[in-house]
Amino acid sequence: MSARWPERPAAPAVRALAQTCKGVLKVSLLLVATYIVAQALSSFLPAAGYRNLMGLSNRTAVWVVAELHLMFAAFVLGVPIFALITEIVGVATKDRRYDDLAREFTKLLAMAYTLTAMLGCMLLVLFLVLYPKFTAYMHGLFKPTWLLYLTLIFGEVIFAYLYWHSWDHLQGARKRWHIALGIMVNVWGTALLFVADAWVTFMTSPAGIDEAGNLISLWAAVANLTWMPINIHRLLANVAFGGAIAAAYAAFRFLAARDDAERARFDWMGYVGSFIAIGAFIPLPFAGYWLGREIYQFSEQMGVSMMGGGFSWLWILQAMLIGSLFFAANVYLWLGMGRIPGAERYTKFQVPMMLILTLGFLVWATPRSIIATGSEMVAMGGSHHPFLGLFGVMAAKNTAVNVMILTTFFSFMLYRRGNRVAVVPWAAAAKAVQALAIAAAAVVVIGYGVYSYYVPSIVRIGYSVYQVTAVLAAMVVFVAIDIPLLKGAREIGPIAWGRIPARAQYALVFLAVTFTWLMGLMGYIRSGIRQHWHVYGRVADESANAYTMTHGDATLIVSGIVVAFFLLVAAVFVMAMREERTA
Amino acid sequence: MLARTFLNIFVFVLAVVGIYAYVGQLVPQFEEHPPKTRTITAETDRDELSDIGQELLRGKGGCLVCHKDSETGNTRGPDLRQSAAVAANRKPGLDAEAYLLESLIDPGAFVVPNYPNMMPSALKPPANLTPAEVKAVVAYLQVLGGAEPTAVVTVEDIEQSKRVAKGDHRGRALMDQHSCTACHKVEGEGGEGGIAPDLTEAGGRFEPEAILRKLNDPAAWVTPGFEAGIMPSFDEAPPGDLHEIVAYLSGLAGKSYSPTGATSPWSHEGVRLGLVIFIANGLMLGALAWARWREKRGAAR
Repeated sequence: MSARWPERPAAPAVRALAQTCKGVLKVSLLLVATYIVAQALSSFLPAAGYRNLMGLSNRTAVWVVAELHLMFAAFVLGVPIFALITEIVGVATKDRRYDDLAREFTKLLAMAYTLTAMLGCMLLVLFLVLYPKFTAYMHGLFKPTWLLYLTLIFGEVIFAYLYWHSWDHLQGARKRWHIALGIMVNVWGTALLFVADAWVTFMTSPAGIDEAGNLISLWAAVANLTWMPINIHRLLANVAFGGAIAAAYAAFRFLAARDDAERARFDWMGYVGSFIAIGAFIPLPFAGYWLGREIYQFSEQMGVSMMGGGFSWLWILQAMLIGSLFFAANVYLWLGMGRIPGAERYTKFQVPMMLILTLGFLVWATPRSIIATGSEMVAMGGSHHPFLGLFGVMAAKNTAVNVMILTTFFSFMLYRRGNRVAVVPWAAAAKAVQALAIAAAAVVVIGYGVYSYYVPSIVRIGYSVYQVTAVLAAMVVFVAIDIPLLKGAREIGPIAWGRIPARAQYALVFLAVTFTWLMGLMGYIRSGIRQHWHVYGRVADESANAYTMTHGDATLIVSGIVVAFFLLVAAVFVMAMREERTA
Repeated sequence: MLARTFLNIFVFVLAVVGIYAYVGQLVPQFEEHPPKTRTITAETDRDELSDIGQELLRGKGGCLVCHKDSETGNTRGPDLRQSAAVAANRKPGLDAEAYLLESLIDPGAFVVPNYPNMMPSALKPPANLTPAEVKAVVAYLQVLGGAEPTAVVTVEDIEQSKRVAKGDHRGRALMDQHSCTACHKVEGEGGEGGIAPDLTEAGGRFEPEAILRKLNDPAAWVTPGFEAGIMPSFDEAPPGDLHEIVAYLSGLAGKSYSPTGATSPWSHEGVRLGLVIFIANGLMLGALAWARWREKRGAAR
């Protein structure tokens, strides 16, 4: 009888390596499958500049898969950013709970990575098969960046799998190596995002090509006018989106919890997730305005089409969504104050804040002109009512949203100091300065809002940057004072985690659904403003789907995508839960 | 418990999404289609030219994004109903037609007081009008202002418009890039020395597939009267480029050909890339096997 090695578990380091190899193999196999399927379909289908697959509209097929891929990509790029920050906070405060929370966030990634890669490969097949001519053109222009992208994908997979699978092994003295891995995940992930953004933004604001569409400078094509604003916008949005989805996971776990300990654990996770989502969401308009400004710089006509043309109606939907986000975030905070002893001191602020939010919402959601049917528009001789004229213009809307941001921030700050009483001798003066900062920001926002009624649109969009800067400055001043103010503060009582009504968890799910729908809508606007162009002004869309569809049809497709995304996310949640229960 | 929670949340998600989708149906519903193209020739009469100009102004030109040509509309730019009436007095030395032409081609040359200098040239993206189309818009503006249209499209405008349109065809640019025009003449350009046939009418003489075969295999046939073996092979040229050239030459004879054949532009690179990935995976698995072997050996000791 031959001697056999006794069965023993592999060493943690080798196990982490083996899991990482599995990840790399999985991506490699997916790429090979993509290549074979794309080649087979290209050979089988007749030669054409545009194709349909099984009767599906090429535009809708690419739209649905691209948006789903983008949503999962946003999640897997956003979560590692705040997972790493949470982990670092755990190391700095020596509080084990933060490390557990960071691990909980990261656990959601493993399955989501596979889904992201699968959707990405499906998207590539659809591009190659349904838009072969345009894909060949883009491939020719951006060839070196495709190779870079592929390298980055493998790098991201390696670091992300190592980061997750080495979590337990790299503790204690080895923790710094784990943090280094986390940094690498984020560096590679961000680089991945920036490369993909180059292709997308080139289509909106092309640069680096001559009149005939030939490449003159690859760098100019990459660093086009909207590239950096989209990079920053997406980076922030990914964190906000990742936070919202993680909070929805926590809400799901809270509602399905078996005992108080589990409820407390997921209540805290939900709070942190929503805090991250709203925290990243607040500076998002700043990046949005920057992007808008760059679009106007690139093409005044495109900017006007986006803000004042057919697409202007979609901004009313955006206002409704963001207004809903503000309401839900504030309601969650106010419900959460019920588990904080001492927070009842601030209940008196809730009604005025609700009124400000409602007023802001009403102003922001007021349409540009009367909502009319096609026949009514014909009767009026245009989209504007001959007597009533214009209602809500951007000057008022920008003002309203900035006041809503300021109010939500104030709500957060009250929540934060709920069970704490400042004991420093300069507390009264500090609070007065904080109030002054908020008031000054409100004056700047409203002042510019009124003044911008009297200037052209190109100047007006510039004022919105000053308004957001005033709000951000007030926040920085407030927080800078708040930190030393509450240092060593007297605690009225500990927060009773888990003692929060179930409807607060539905507020978190509502936040996640609204964020997702908003992302789908904004993606449509970003892509739709190119109208009948693949590359705006340079490469025309010559397919039967080159028209801009009705807003109703577009919103139905966005809704379908959101439902599909949540079904897939539910699968990720259930698998994460099963894995935990098996372990 | 888990299934019930899942169901509750899913119903809630459907309700929220349903509300958003419903609001999406409440806003005005309209489709925007790409502008239609209409042919302008030197024989197009002034009334028809004005009609085409109106279509261009409202469609391809995108002028109504900022201007208005009726009672209601946008006021970011001047009201176009008055443009023709005041055009003759805008700039000394320019009559109404010349001023309107200049304001479309070089809008920054004179900016109407109290309006920002924000208009792009009508010849540039996104409008991308041809010189003949610009004249059609001028004709419409004149009619709109109650004047007799004086704008006339000349043979020179048509030629210039064709050159503009030709410049947009990638196949023509690729013929320069791959040095085809060093030997071949096409549309009166290139082919100095007469060592290769004029390709302007090649699309009429050969089917697109035959032109593609010739590009892939220059020795496939030789045009009588020209020396064999001069044309180089295009092995290194991306297949997509060759298809574009075929599309351009066929298009000159009015034949339509999709620049994309069955061959994927990734065909060669895909295989090379696959090999690199295969080798990298092999090395990775080898390294893992080595690590496991070392671990087992360590455990045995």
